[in-house]
Amino acid sequence: MSARTTGLWRVVAAREVSTQVRSKAFRLSVAALVLGLVAIVVAVTLFPDGEETYDVAVVDSASSSLVDTGSGIAGTLEEGTELRSKSYGDAAGAERAVRDGDVDAALLATDDGYELVGDGEVEPVLGEALRAAVSQSVTAENAAAQDVDLEALAAGTQVGQRLLDPDAEDAGLRTGASFVFVLLFYVTALTFGMQIASSVTQEKESRVVEILAAAVPIRTLLWGKVIGTSVLAIGQTVLLAAVGVVALLATGNAHALGVVGPAIGWYVVFFVLGFVALAGFWSIAGSLAGRQQDLGATTAPLQMILFAPYLVSVLAGEGVKTVVSMLPIVSTMMMPSRLAEGHVPLWQLGVAVLTTVGAAVLFVRVGAAVYERTLLQTGRRIGLREALSDARS
Amino acid sequence: MLEARSLSRVYGSTTVVDDVSFTVSPGRVTGFVGANGAGKTTTMRMLMGVLGASAGEVLWNGAPITAEARRSFGYMPEERGLYPRMKLHEQLVFFARLHGLATADAAARAAALLGHFGLEERRDDVLDDLSLGNQQRVQIAAALVHRPAALVLDEPFSGLDPTAVDSMIDLLRTEAGDLPLLFSSHQLDLVERLCDDLVVLSRGRVVASGTVAALRDRGADRYRVVHDGVEASWLRDLRGITVDDVDGSTAVVSLDGLSPSELVSAAVARGPVQEVARVRQPLSEIFREVTR
Repeated sequence: MSARTTGLWRVVAAREVSTQVRSKAFRLSVAALVLGLVAIVVAVTLFPDGEETYDVAVVDSASSSLVDTGSGIAGTLEEGTELRSKSYGDAAGAERAVRDGDVDAALLATDDGYELVGDGEVEPVLGEALRAAVSQSVTAENAAAQDVDLEALAAGTQVGQRLLDPDAEDAGLRTGASFVFVLLFYVTALTFGMQIASSVTQEKESRVVEILAAAVPIRTLLWGKVIGTSVLAIGQTVLLAAVGVVALLATGNAHALGVVGPAIGWYVVFFVLGFVALAGFWSIAGSLAGRQQDLGATTAPLQMILFAPYLVSVLAGEGVKTVVSMLPIVSTMMMPSRLAEGHVPLWQLGVAVLTTVGAAVLFVRVGAAVYERTLLQTGRRIGLREALSDARS
Repeated sequence: MLEARSLSRVYGSTTVVDDVSFTVSPGRVTGFVGANGAGKTTTMRMLMGVLGASAGEVLWNGAPITAEARRSFGYMPEERGLYPRMKLHEQLVFFARLHGLATADAAARAAALLGHFGLEERRDDVLDDLSLGNQQRVQIAAALVHRPAALVLDEPFSGLDPTAVDSMIDLLRTEAGDLPLLFSSHQLDLVERLCDDLVVLSRGRVVASGTVAALRDRGADRYRVVHDGVEASWLRDLRGITVDDVDGSTAVVSLDGLSPSELVSAAVARGPVQEVARVRQPLSEIFREVTR
C-alpha cells in the first residue's frame, strides 16, 4: 500500500477547481464580470468627462469666425470642449433652431454688439467662451480703429499657470481605479468565500465528510479547499486584470496603465493573503451550518466584516485609512486603493503583509479546529461556542 | 490484526461505549451485532479515528494505530454519503487518490469495481441519478477502491435486495479474502451466513464474543427426539436429562448426565424412532438471550 500524505491537499484542491470550473453558474458569473469590466472601460472611453461639442447658430460670416475663435477658448476652459457654427438664413430661423433644440445657442449681431440666444439657459462654458471671443476680436478691431497698440496695452496682464503636482491630473483615474479595486475584492471575496462555506456545508450535508475525515487529516482537507478556491479566485482576478489591460490598450488609454500598473501588482499580493486569511473564517461558517439554508445565517457576520472596510474606504478620512489599511483583511481592500491614489511608505506595506500572513495561519488553524469538532454533527445549525467547547476527544 | 482495547466513549454523563475489547483477525469475517443504540457505530467511528476515544486504544498488528494505517483502511460509514453531483468514475478515482493511489492505478481500479456491479455504462452519470441500491454499490466500491488493508463496514447490507446482497457478498469474498473485516448488521441470517467471528454489543458493553460455531454450541447439549407413532412424554421419566418441550411424538431435551448414545438407546428401546438430532441454537436466539 503506497501511503503518501504529502500532496493530499493537491488532490482535494484539484477536485475543488475542476468541480467549479465545470459548473454553469461559475462560468456565467465569470463571463458577466468580464463583460461588465469591458463595458465600463468602453463607456469611460466613449463618454469621457467634459468632452462636448456645442452647436451655435449664426447668420453671417463674422459671427461664424467668432464661434471659431470661441471654440479655441472653450478648449482651454474645459478640455475637449468644441464649438461649431451652423449657418441660418435669418435671425428668426436661428431662433427657431434654438427653440427646436437643433443648436445649443445662437450668436446674433445687434446694433450695439452681439447677443447670445439660448432656449432655457446657456451652458456656462459656451457663454464664457463666446463672450471672451467677442470681446477679444472686437477689442482688437477697436484698437486698430483707434490706432492703439493692443499688445502694449495688454503688457503685464498675462497670468501663467504652474502645477506643483502634475500627477494630480490623473486624480480621476486614480480614484476610479481605487474604487474598482475595493469593489472587485469585495465581490470576489464574497463570491469565492461563499463557495468555500458552501463546499464545506455540502460535504456535511451529503455526509461524505465522514469518509474524507477517515482518509485525510482535517487540516489538510481544509488547506486543499482553501488553496483550490484561492486558485480559482486569483485566476479570475488575473483574467479580469488582463481583460482590463487589454481593454485600456484597445481603447487608446495606454497612459492609464502607467498610473495604476504598480497598484495592480500589489493588489494581487494583498488579494492572495487577504483571501486565504478570510478562507479560515468562511470554512468555520460552513461547518457551523448543517444545511445550505443555514449558510445565510452563519455567514452573516462575515459579510459584515467584508462590508466594514468597504464603508471605511469610501467614507473615512486619511488618518483612519492609514491605520486601518495595515490591519489584516482590511489591508486587502485599502492598500491597493491607497497605492492607486498616491504614495504609501514601504514599512506600512510590510506591516500590512505581516499582519495578514499571521492572521491567515491563525484563522485556518481555528477553522480546522472548529471543522473537526462539528464534523459529525450533521443536519443542524451549531453555535460557535458549542463548537469550540465540544472537544473531539 | 485490528484490535479494540478497552474502548470507551462518554458524552457528558452518558457512557455510550463502555470498556469494549475485541479483535478482528485477518482472513476472518467478524460480525458486529447489537440492538439500535448499543454503541456499534460509535465504536466503529473510534476504530476509524473519526471520533476520539474517551478511554482505551485501537491497535493495528499489535501496536497503537497510526493515522497512516487508518488511511489504508476501507470504511463505509453508517451515514452513507458521496458527492451527489459528481460522476461515478471520477468520484471513485478521487477517493482512490485520497488514499494514496496513483492516478492511472486509481482509474483502472474504479473501472474494475464499476464493472463488477454492472455500472460501467453509467460511469459518467452523477451519483444522484442512480437508484438507491446502485448508490449503495458505489458506496461500497468507494470503500474498496484503494485495495484496503482492513475493512470496517457499518451496516453494509441495509437497504439492498437479495440479489444485490449476493453480489456484494461475492465482491467482499474476492476483495477481502485475507483482510480483517468487521461489519455490523441487524440481519442475523446474513451474519450467520457470512461470519466466522461474532461480537455482540448491548448497552455499550460486549456481552458475547467468539467464533460463531462456539457461540452456537454454548450452553447445555440439546437434542430433539422424534418418535414414530409413540408419545414422547415418557422422556419426562428418563433420568439424566431435562425435558424442555414435548409436543405429541416430538420432544426437545437437554442432556444432564446422560450421554447422547444412551439417549438414542433408550429411545429405540421405547419404540420406533424417526430422528434424534442435536439442536443448534440459532443466532437470533443467542442474540435475544445475551442482550436481554
